[in-house]
Amino acid sequence: MTASLGRMWALALNTFREAARIRVLYGILVLVVGANLFAVLLGEMSQHAEARVARDVGLAGISLFGSLTAIFLGVFLLYSEIQRRTIHAIVSKPIERWEFVVGKYLGMALILSVLVALFAVAMLALLAFQGIAISQAVAQAVLLAWMEVLTVAAIAVFFSSFSTPFLSGIFALALFALGRLTPDILAASESSKSTWVRATTRIALEIVPDLHLFGISGRSVDGAPVSVHGDFVSWGYVLTSCGYALAWIGGLLLIASLIFRRRDFV
Amino acid sequence: MSDEPPVIEVADLQKTYRTPFRRRKVVALRGINVLVRRGEIFGFLGPNGAGKTTTIRILMGLIAATGGTAKIFGETVPSRAARQRLGFLPEQPYFYDYLTVGELCDLAGRLFGVDAATRKRRADELIARVGLDRARTQNLKKFSKGMMQRAGLAQALMNDPDLVVLDEPMSGLDPIGRKEVRDLILELRERGKTVFFSSHILTDVEAISDRVAIVARGQVRAVGAPHELVGHTQLGVDVSLRLPEADPDAAAKSLAGDLDASAVRRADRQLTLALAGDADVDALLARGRELGARVLAVTPRFETLEDLFLRRIAEVDDPATTTPASAPRAEAAS
Ligand SMILES: Nc1ncnc2c1ncn2[C@@H]1O[C@H](COP(=O)(O)OP(=O)(O)OP(=O)(O)O)[C@@H](O)[C@H]1O
Ligand SMILES: [Mg+2]
Repeated sequence: MTASLGRMWALALNTFREAARIRVLYGILVLVVGANLFAVLLGEMSQHAEARVARDVGLAGISLFGSLTAIFLGVFLLYSEIQRRTIHAIVSKPIERWEFVVGKYLGMALILSVLVALFAVAMLALLAFQGIAISQAVAQAVLLAWMEVLTVAAIAVFFSSFSTPFLSGIFALALFALGRLTPDILAASESSKSTWVRATTRIALEIVPDLHLFGISGRSVDGAPVSVHGDFVSWGYVLTSCGYALAWIGGLLLIASLIFRRRDFV
Repeated sequence: MSDEPPVIEVADLQKTYRTPFRRRKVVALRGINVLVRRGEIFGFLGPNGAGKTTTIRILMGLIAATGGTAKIFGETVPSRAARQRLGFLPEQPYFYDYLTVGELCDLAGRLFGVDAATRKRRADELIARVGLDRARTQNLKKFSKGMMQRAGLAQALMNDPDLVVLDEPMSGLDPIGRKEVRDLILELRERGKTVFFSSHILTDVEAISDRVAIVARGQVRAVGAPHELVGHTQLGVDVSLRLPEADPDAAAKSLAGDLDASAVRRADRQLTLALAGDADVDALLARGRELGARVLAVTPRFETLEDLFLRRIAEVDDPATTTPASAPRAEAAS
């Protein structure tokens, strides 16, 4: 048990190291911090709305760029191991295939967590600089966005366990969009006259992770509108959502491991 | 010795590769049989595409066989327990190029579950042993092919394995490097380890292997100690003569008779004829004396491993002489 954890941890740290060398990540970091700065300047101009804009842009940055980075890493890190055949010296060691998948994922989760933390620090620093109070709602929203990013990474790893980076990227993006836009798609399909369209939409949305649960500001939860700028969700909601994320991550990694176990590495 | 299972036991191993989308099939192994005993150096010899790497990848649990069985230490592969006791150098190895060789060894040690102090000590020893001491601070990215090979050897030995599996360990190395790897392999045997290595460089295999298997087209064509495999078949006789001073050309022509041009070598007045095994050597010598030539040497010519290798491979390419061997023909479906 501890030996298994040790192996996964070794793989995770190595993956973290590998990912930390990808320059694009630093570009994304600069981009997100820049967007936050820009939001502050924009907020200055619109007087009353400054806090609103800064928060919205900051959170959207975490969620969107965090998720895109998760897809990018999930799709490439596993694939490049196989492509460059670095995996040969690894899976021929006394490790199980699932330990490899989980170790890789943990490494990605680690670097994504650092990234989300940096995004959040940038946002909070700017909010503080502007003298805007940091509410509990903002902390909750950041936590939810973090869970979303980790779930998206698992989605990307799942697809890349059997598909090429290009296709995995497309699939993962599609799932991200579907999950994100669930309420809108549902609303649109309900207005359709064809029962067939309504049924397939329902089924399609049923089998994808409900990522919109993680970005609920501006929507309504249990009939009441919620917003990070005002009345936000309860900690119960946040915890349930975390559990939901972990369940999906576990399930996706389990299937990815089963697929990976049957793969030939040539 | 008698009770313990063989270190490697491969029986009727088959592999058909399937390209995922085009549904094309490639039959790589058609029933490989290999038995490697404890403490021996076993050379797995064969031309390009014979199926050496495929066999090794199945043993290492990288790919799944489509038929037959493969066992290491008596455990059917893929076996985590077996992998715990072996070290593996992949063909044309590539490792995480952002690591140094020390970090690579450390990672390998962690995956083997070796404790930190032992990891440190072994990494130091092995890096020195493979001659990479001076490259310790460099990233593997800057390593040459031969250095990568050495780094691969070091990481494969981090668990002090009982079995070492090396896929083309000498490829990409200069003559000195090849000698060093040969010495390393011999040293491993000295320490009681079993070594299974593949190569298509005959001299390397012949020089150090206790036993060899010659594979071609996915089947083992011959197995045995190099001296058993060769040396019994007398291929012919080489006769060297010193031609007479008077008209050596005529004498040479007469002696060569209707021998194939490739069997006749002449340097000035020295003539060497490679006669077939059933040739009448006495008659030739008598004729030589009549012509005033002096006999320099008569030497029997035995088959070398290279001859055997080439012959066995030629047999495979000529379907008429292919032995029906153990393997059922698996390529019918295509
Ligand atoms: N991934 C693959 N897909 C399809 N065919 C393959 C694949 N890998 C190997 N083969 C085929 O299987 C056969 C055996 O290949 P293998 O790599 O085992 O040979 P080898 O003996 O190691 O050769 P070499 O000396 O060149 O390394 C070859 O005909 C090769 O074309
Ligand atoms: Mg090979």
